[in-house]
Amino acid sequence: MKKFFTTAFIFGISLSLFGMQEATPAVTKSIFEGQFLAHLSLAIAAVGCGLAQGKAVAAACEGIARNPQAAGEIRTTMIIGLALIEALVIYALVAAFAIK
Amino acid sequence: MEHHASYIAKWLTEIFGLARYQWTGFGILERNGQLVHESFSILERYDHLLNASLAALAAMIIATWIRSRMNKIPSPIQQIFEMVISGLDDMVKASIAHHAERYLPFIGTIALFVFFNNLFGITPGLSPGTSNWNVTLGAALVVFCYYNFHGMKAKGFWSYWGHFAGPVVFLIPLMFPLEILGLLSRNLSHSLRLFGNIAGEHLVAGIFFSILPLFLPIPMLFLGLFFGLIQTFVFTVLSIIYLSGAVAHDH
Repeated sequence: MKKFFTTAFIFGISLSLFGMQEATPAVTKSIFEGQFLAHLSLAIAAVGCGLAQGKAVAAACEGIARNPQAAGEIRTTMIIGLALIEALVIYALVAAFAIK
Repeated sequence: MEHHASYIAKWLTEIFGLARYQWTGFGILERNGQLVHESFSILERYDHLLNASLAALAAMIIATWIRSRMNKIPSPIQQIFEMVISGLDDMVKASIAHHAERYLPFIGTIALFVFFNNLFGITPGLSPGTSNWNVTLGAALVVFCYYNFHGMKAKGFWSYWGHFAGPVVFLIPLMFPLEILGLLSRNLSHSLRLFGNIAGEHLVAGIFFSILPLFLPIPMLFLGLFFGLIQTFVFTVLSIIYLSGAVAHDH
């Protein structure tokens, strides 16, 4: 799994580098400044957030299935937790807004 | 970043014939390799404030209107508001042990304000005030001042700030700055979460609209309604949690 992620990551970076080179041949700016970096950071943050939120929702579903009477409380706690996890991606999004 | 004023700001500018200025450091775009300095009227420049005031006005007018028409046999809209208020009451009473009813008016006000602001994202001609950081930071700072004030009122000045110093005397230089930093950065996360969610959703809806304006934005608008509700809920719940942390007594 780790190997797969590493390969996919390197492949993605090389693909985007290749694509950028073909699209704009005369740009002197490095690729690792400007919007590309912002978008990449957002993608990385979204991967982590997706895994974490999936884990949280899975645990909440399990809890509700075991004890359906606690559904309301579990749902509220889950939404707060999801919001706290989501905030980290939102920081990446705000940074992506800020970087031009 | 490109600034798109909402249509209501543009209409009001045209109706009142307001002058458009080039604001320093604002609205500078690169078009076809040339820098263009766009000009905005004061309403278009401070679009978020216009929309936030409209949201506050809408919340006040609707709440007063419902209040004046209260009946023993509730109308549908009164039932909706009763449901909202009893839900807020349950939320406040669940996490604040003593005198929870004292804090309900403020929590309800902030929830209505944020909800109407979020709702403006799916209203034609308006833009959500909360898609600008200034408005959400304002709301977060109001909540910050409120819970600090009530914490000091409930516990006393020295007892409240002494809470940040930790249990042991020689840990004070280490604990106090960290706790104060945590207290201040709460504002940042509280406001940025709302701002980022609403602004991101609005941006995606705009991109969908620019691809195909006819039917494509509809699911995004529906999602916007849902996100607006969820984010209002989260903002309110976090306000309640901060408030309950500030006013909680040790027994």
